[in-house]
Amino acid sequence: MAISKAEIEKLAKLAKLSFSDEELERFTAEFDEIIAFADTINQSIEGGTEQIRSVGARMVSFDDLRPDEVMPSLPNEKILSNVEGYNGFFSVERSKK
Amino acid sequence: MNYEIVCGIETHIELATKTKIFCGCTTEFGGEPNTHCCPVCTGQPGTLPILNQKVVEYAIKAGLALNCKINTKSHMDRKNYVYPDLPKAYQISQYDEPLCEKGYIELDSGKRIGITRIHIEEDAGKLVHENGYTYIDYNRGGVPLIEIVSEPDISSAEEAREYAEKLQLTMRYIGISDCKMQEGSMRCDVNLSLRKPGDPNFGVRTEIKNINSLSFIQKAVIAEAERQADILDAGGTVVQQTMRYDEATNSVTPMRDKENSDDYRYFPDPDILRFCIDEAKVEEIRASLPELPFAKLRRYVNDLGLPEATAKQISRYRKVAEFFEGALAEGASVKNAANLIVGTIFSNMDTEEEKELFAVRISAAQFAALVKLADEKKINIGVAQSTLQKMLESGKPVEEFIKPEDLVGISDEVLENLCREAIEANPRAVDDVRNGKDKAINVMFGYIMKKTGGKADIRKAEALLRKLIGP
Repeated sequence: MAISKAEIEKLAKLAKLSFSDEELERFTAEFDEIIAFADTINQSIEGGTEQIRSVGARMVSFDDLRPDEVMPSLPNEKILSNVEGYNGFFSVERSKK
Repeated sequence: MNYEIVCGIETHIELATKTKIFCGCTTEFGGEPNTHCCPVCTGQPGTLPILNQKVVEYAIKAGLALNCKINTKSHMDRKNYVYPDLPKAYQISQYDEPLCEKGYIELDSGKRIGITRIHIEEDAGKLVHENGYTYIDYNRGGVPLIEIVSEPDISSAEEAREYAEKLQLTMRYIGISDCKMQEGSMRCDVNLSLRKPGDPNFGVRTEIKNINSLSFIQKAVIAEAERQADILDAGGTVVQQTMRYDEATNSVTPMRDKENSDDYRYFPDPDILRFCIDEAKVEEIRASLPELPFAKLRRYVNDLGLPEATAKQISRYRKVAEFFEGALAEGASVKNAANLIVGTIFSNMDTEEEKELFAVRISAAQFAALVKLADEKKINIGVAQSTLQKMLESGKPVEEFIKPEDLVGISDEVLENLCREAIEANPRAVDDVRNGKDKAINVMFGYIMKKTGGKADIRKAEALLRKLIGP
């Protein structure tokens, strides 16, 4: 097993998701398969995925980065068009941290 | 029981770029809620963040000014946490490949406080909690920040304050942020633990979040060290937690349990390509840095011979230093230029902010023209001060107030006659001087100055008076 049920529980908690015990069992097994699959990529490349990052992946140079020029923002009504806004704000039920 | 303070500071500084870190929205402060927003900075699905070049440049500037090594390859990571101030439920930050590492700030004592790292990241939105609802404004969301993390090398409240002050001064000097702590463009988190002197191990630390003034940093360190010492003295253990400093009661109280850093589940952001910076670019940025305030201060004292206190007051503000150096380049003398800036110009500026902005109505060259008249003894310092004040108020050059004919000065003959008059008019003062009451000579000075409108050369007058009065 690459991942334990306890780890899945912790991830669910951090993502603010709650699952039944049955679901947790099922997800643990599924996660394990997904990780095993991803791991085959690692095995097929000499040097592993670290190697991809350091040499294989494309990098951008400083000159390719975005110039610091102001572009128009969206009108407030457009920004809030998919949500319940209040006086120009997004609003959600009170959050506790 | 005596303890040793072990303290490190994390500082967030808002960069003075025009646009946000990943989109073209303005970073301007204020504005109606959610009007400086676009699909990228509100985290809409399918949008792609594109890194702002200026953010990278400014962060490298900060790194170079703080003696850091610059990582020429770097990338962005996602820091995951769920809270409404982040629309994407993650903050784009840097984890294992920060732009800058391993620098230091040198304190006046010569002690160096290590800089662990400097990384770039996006700021979160602002929340207002009211009537059971949380209202969110994402105008600040995506504004670029650098986070500067120090080593736990700080061992007193004074050192903590000096570190933050030097950091603020340096960042302002290189022009990457205004670092206004009251407005939140510079915010400090203080990590602190205690240990017995000589103990190689660290004690349990707490983190005091979001301190918004330099003096509160100093006070918070003292308050937290006392709180921890009381716990340890009573045989208790310090709990690792996030604290808040309350300035009204000068006390430190717990805020919430700290999440461990692995809870943030950092991973490389797949939407943003890794980036590289040529060594040549780094050197170009290094060459663009101004002389830093502490190097300037040393130069003013060692090479220009200014007293430390005066040198400090001038080197502290970049614009003042530029004005001063501009006047020197025009031929003004170091001593008179420095004294007129600190004595006269600064007396018109009550706040740090005004000195920082240094919005004077005359140019360095116009200032130098006045200073040179004093240097050449064509006017005395009192006249130089009052004329400078008039120039500052009107924005007009020195010629408007001092006519060439005024500068002919008082001839030696006229001065001698005036001295005789002064002696005749003040027989008692003359007797006093003869009887050893040397201060009585001021009465004669007053007379001569009044008659000449302050234009007489006071040293010449003194020599003449003493000669005429005799031993």
